[in-house]
Amino acid sequence: MNDKWTDRLSDYVDGELTTEERTALETHLATCADCRATLEELRKVVVRARSIHDRAPKADLWPGIHARLTPGGRPGVIRSRRFSFNVPQLIAASVALVVLSAGGMWVALNQPTRTAGGGQFTSEDTLFHVVNNKMWNRTDAAIADLQKALTRNEGRLDTATVRVVRENLALIDRAISQARIALDADPGNAYLNLHLADTMRRKLELLRRVNAIATAQS
Amino acid sequence: MADAEAVDTALAASGDASAFERLYRTHVNRVHSLVRRMLDADEADDLTQDVFVRAWEKLHTFRGESAFGTWLHRLAVNVVLARRKTLGVERGRFHAGEDPLEDVSGRRETPEVAMDFEEALANLPDGARQVFVLHDVEGYRHEEIARMLGVVPGTSKSQLHHARMALRRYLDQ
Repeated sequence: MNDKWTDRLSDYVDGELTTEERTALETHLATCADCRATLEELRKVVVRARSIHDRAPKADLWPGIHARLTPGGRPGVIRSRRFSFNVPQLIAASVALVVLSAGGMWVALNQPTRTAGGGQFTSEDTLFHVVNNKMWNRTDAAIADLQKALTRNEGRLDTATVRVVRENLALIDRAISQARIALDADPGNAYLNLHLADTMRRKLELLRRVNAIATAQS
Repeated sequence: MADAEAVDTALAASGDASAFERLYRTHVNRVHSLVRRMLDADEADDLTQDVFVRAWEKLHTFRGESAFGTWLHRLAVNVVLARRKTLGVERGRFHAGEDPLEDVSGRRETPEVAMDFEEALANLPDGARQVFVLHDVEGYRHEEIARMLGVVPGTSKSQLHHARMALRRYLDQ
């Protein structure tokens, strides 16, 4: 059995024929037992394909995956961060670059001394501190707004979800608190500034997403 | 009630590996099965790992417009197709004109070789196999498959029909 209609049977099963083609094929099917039998088999294949069950891998693949996850952050995020600095961050980076470039030799020749209490800062420390304080204040305000929204929206989330979100926010808050303590002692530390910015970004991202999820439940 | 998976997705996107492990546990069977059906079984473990590592790296681009599972599944298809493309270049295996009936039905004539449906599927030539998996198992439309594979929809339809014609001899239910 292999007449001119055979190759159109799958299209017929899938509803891909035009009205005219479908009518012509149905006319043929009325007189061709072979094509009717083939059509029935093709329909069974389609049903069988939909009933294929997923199977688990023989071994747990998670340890291998976990070993390949970049510790402390995702490569994709780190790459994208290059394009997501906000204006205060760019100002801070520019100021630091200018100060460090122009005053590099001066800094090298005049190592600043700090008091035991950390009260003596270099000029670049002070500039960093002032600019970053403005950025942190704005970020704090955004976080506060989102946390208020989350408080309002928590009722739309189930208890387990709220618990997981709170635990993760507490973890992030601890990281922010530790970074700020370290920055109080060393305001010009570029690594600490970036670390704090990244941690606050993560908190903002988490709050935004959870609020979006909660809102979507309504 | 909130979708716990959406929360896990948000947590994972913020760098929480434990949340990502929960997503892995939920979806690994489906991803592994997709990879196994479209590639050789001995590559399924490695490719499945690649899919989840890629998902971790790209999670920051997931905006929640679709379910995480849908996003992950499409990413898995892309990883598999990229791998198949590499294999095709390496082995010269993908030929649009190949006849799936020849490969599978030839074995059917040998009584001692009793293939079930999934084994027969695994023995289809690459072109027919990937179209069948994407269309009949995974539910993609011919237009989508054609875009993914870089062929015209008519080729996708033709490959699907040949695959079905071959597989109808292995209906095991």
